[in-house]
Amino acid sequence: MKKFLAAFVGSMALAAAPVALSAEATKELKVAYDSDPVTLDIHEQLSGGILQLSHMTFDPLIRWTKDLGFEPRLAESWERVDENTMRFKLRKGVKFHSGNEFTSADVKFTFERLKDSQDFKAIFKPFSGINIIDDYTFELVTSEPYPLLLNTATYIFPLDSEFYSGKTEDGKDKGAILKHGNSFASENLSGTGPFTVAERRQGVRVEFERFDGYWDTQSPGNVGKIVLTPIKENNTRVSALLSGGVDFIAPVPPNDLERIRNDKDANLVTMSGTRIILFHMNQERVEAFKNPKVRQAIAYAINQEGIAAKIMKGFATPAAQMSPAGYQGHNENLKPRFDVAKAQQLMKEAGYEDGFTITMMSPNNRYVNDDKIAQAAAAMLARINIKVDLKTLPKAQYWPEYDNRAADMMLIGWHADTEDSANFYEFLTFCPDAGSGSGQYNAGNYCNPEIDALVQKANVETDLDKRAAMLQEVEQRLYDDAAFIPLHWQDLAWASKKNVNIEPVLNVMNFPYLGDLVVE
Amino acid sequence: MTTATVSRWDRFRESFFWHSFKRDKVAIVSFAVLLMMVMAAIFAPLLAPADPYDLAQINIMNSELPPVGMSGADPAFPLGTDAQGRDLLSTILYGTRVSLMIGFGAVVLQAFLGILFGLLAGYLGGKVDAILMRIADVQLSFSTLMVAIIVGAVFKASFGNLMFGEIAIYMLIFIIGVAEWPQIARTVRASVLAEKKKEYVDAAKVMGFGTRRIMFRHILPNTLSPIFVIATVQIANAIISEAALSFLGLGMPETQPSLGSLIKSGFDYIQSGSWWITLIPGLVLVVLVLVINLLGDWLRDVMNPRLYKG
Repeated sequence: MKKFLAAFVGSMALAAAPVALSAEATKELKVAYDSDPVTLDIHEQLSGGILQLSHMTFDPLIRWTKDLGFEPRLAESWERVDENTMRFKLRKGVKFHSGNEFTSADVKFTFERLKDSQDFKAIFKPFSGINIIDDYTFELVTSEPYPLLLNTATYIFPLDSEFYSGKTEDGKDKGAILKHGNSFASENLSGTGPFTVAERRQGVRVEFERFDGYWDTQSPGNVGKIVLTPIKENNTRVSALLSGGVDFIAPVPPNDLERIRNDKDANLVTMSGTRIILFHMNQERVEAFKNPKVRQAIAYAINQEGIAAKIMKGFATPAAQMSPAGYQGHNENLKPRFDVAKAQQLMKEAGYEDGFTITMMSPNNRYVNDDKIAQAAAAMLARINIKVDLKTLPKAQYWPEYDNRAADMMLIGWHADTEDSANFYEFLTFCPDAGSGSGQYNAGNYCNPEIDALVQKANVETDLDKRAAMLQEVEQRLYDDAAFIPLHWQDLAWASKKNVNIEPVLNVMNFPYLGDLVVE
Repeated sequence: MTTATVSRWDRFRESFFWHSFKRDKVAIVSFAVLLMMVMAAIFAPLLAPADPYDLAQINIMNSELPPVGMSGADPAFPLGTDAQGRDLLSTILYGTRVSLMIGFGAVVLQAFLGILFGLLAGYLGGKVDAILMRIADVQLSFSTLMVAIIVGAVFKASFGNLMFGEIAIYMLIFIIGVAEWPQIARTVRASVLAEKKKEYVDAAKVMGFGTRRIMFRHILPNTLSPIFVIATVQIANAIISEAALSFLGLGMPETQPSLGSLIKSGFDYIQSGSWWITLIPGLVLVVLVLVINLLGDWLRDVMNPRLYKG
């Protein structure tokens, strides 16, 4: 009898095992990033921090795998109907945090909100509409054949349409997107993702709890609670990990990589990145920047290799263009052009031998060593008599300033959302146009319609060799024109305690899929 | 004239002040170190191998070189360089200059305000006393740093960064000076309260001297010794306040480093090999503040006969 009972219990335990896997999500994970999300509205800002939040609290239709393929999430399967149309089938039985059922109406709501969002509308410009077939089937339609349709679908994180519809108590529209404003959506959130926001104090800490009704019961993730603390100081963040105060940190400053690698209780993961760091020179604020010679002079004065070697400790690739190696637009011929004598010569030719004074702004907790890079650039510009008034700010204050174009030179890092060169140009060098959203992050107000037209042409070109040639020509022309000052492609690094198995959930986009994280 | 100065010098040499200084080794060493640092700071432009405020002289390729004696050092940079490639020796010399200027400047301002308000409150008493001392109480209940941070932030926001960079040193003198005057005012007031009951004050009144003359010519000289002592300590305090503000990023801009901002800029590197960026300016700051405090201590012993150790 006893034997029988033991066997029975054993078989029950076995049968229950896969369920138990997800039900036992009891581990607590303490995360320290350099900053916390500036808002809870995932359509308010297109930024790395917000996309990381999206992957924690929402789920995309499909998402990137580690080797840059696609994996189904809320969309179970997809098929091409014709050259302009893609049909998606949605997963059934998915619930939002609010308890509402997820259907294709939510996708439609989200799609329309994305088309309204200042930051996202440019990505969704090629799409002409969405057709709802039934509750779990819909079609995305583009106006022309669009090679990056699936890439873009990774940016559709369906929102809870019922939750975000209607009016708040004081009569505001719940679905409104307000940049840097206090909208309903910036403080409340309901998605389908693995975590809900339990408590949030801006700039202090965010607490996430695992969502009981999470649809993905196959996920190996066993983290039940995440406490995200922003720690801006590099040194303090690393110390917090090494002393055991936190379990997972990002980014890891380049000068501490060795220290973490040598620590037997810590786990370091690095990847060579595709995020370009660059300076814009605002032509509307500074008359001299309209002169290509002045812009070229600045391009010649900046020592990209010095910054990459000394400030980034070799943990970055010096850049002379936006497209990293491997992208279609990457132009082999473009090399960093540091030459102070040439820069001084160009300033003289432009009639600015005595230089001028400009303002410069940079975040101090967004990109690796961003404030130190800006300081070094200021010193380099002093060589050609450009005096720089530098201000560095935490990113929560920096982005509003950036949207106001508050300084003459502003630093920004950009990761191509579609993993394609054209995305760089559309956001960073297109003529700014609030209506279509193109040039939304072009703080230089550089405008060359010819180049824009060439990119548009490349976007509908399906012959990949031709497309690559066009995009490379774009890079060449931007380089000749010194439309912006590229610095480097920033490498990526994360570190955790040994028992936190971060490697499988990390990727080159820097969206850790924390829902699938396993803590031993 | 010559005889007068000689006799004054003789009088000084025979004084108890000089006598106790000669016998106190700590005071002699402290004074020598302080004198050396002040001289080095005053003549920084002549002594320093490079001008750390001139951004055009900085080369990023020289960043984080260690001090001479370690592998990879460059003899052109005896104490190494910081993360931006500035020569540390030059930066420390200039930084000490900034710190000392702010220390002395802030104390002169404090002493001016403190003596004026302390005298008025102590001698006039009544409503003037009540109002001035309540203001001092209110101000003392805020910590110096907090007042300095608020005032600094307001200035920074209203002047813009470049403008603030140019006037930062005067702003810091003003901020720290204004934040700390109650310390001196209270000391002065206490001494004045004790002095004003003495016979010489009554005598002066009987002779018909005016209030102002009695306050500044008769009472003030008799309250000077505690002021000297407290001023010395306040110099050290002001230097520390400036370093703390700069460390928090609210003091001197990074392009004109003082000791505090230099310590801050090296803080990221202290555990990853480049310890000298923080440690060397840190030691300079500690030594500077220590010798000033030791001198202040000695001065207190000399000027207060009740503590005289014989």
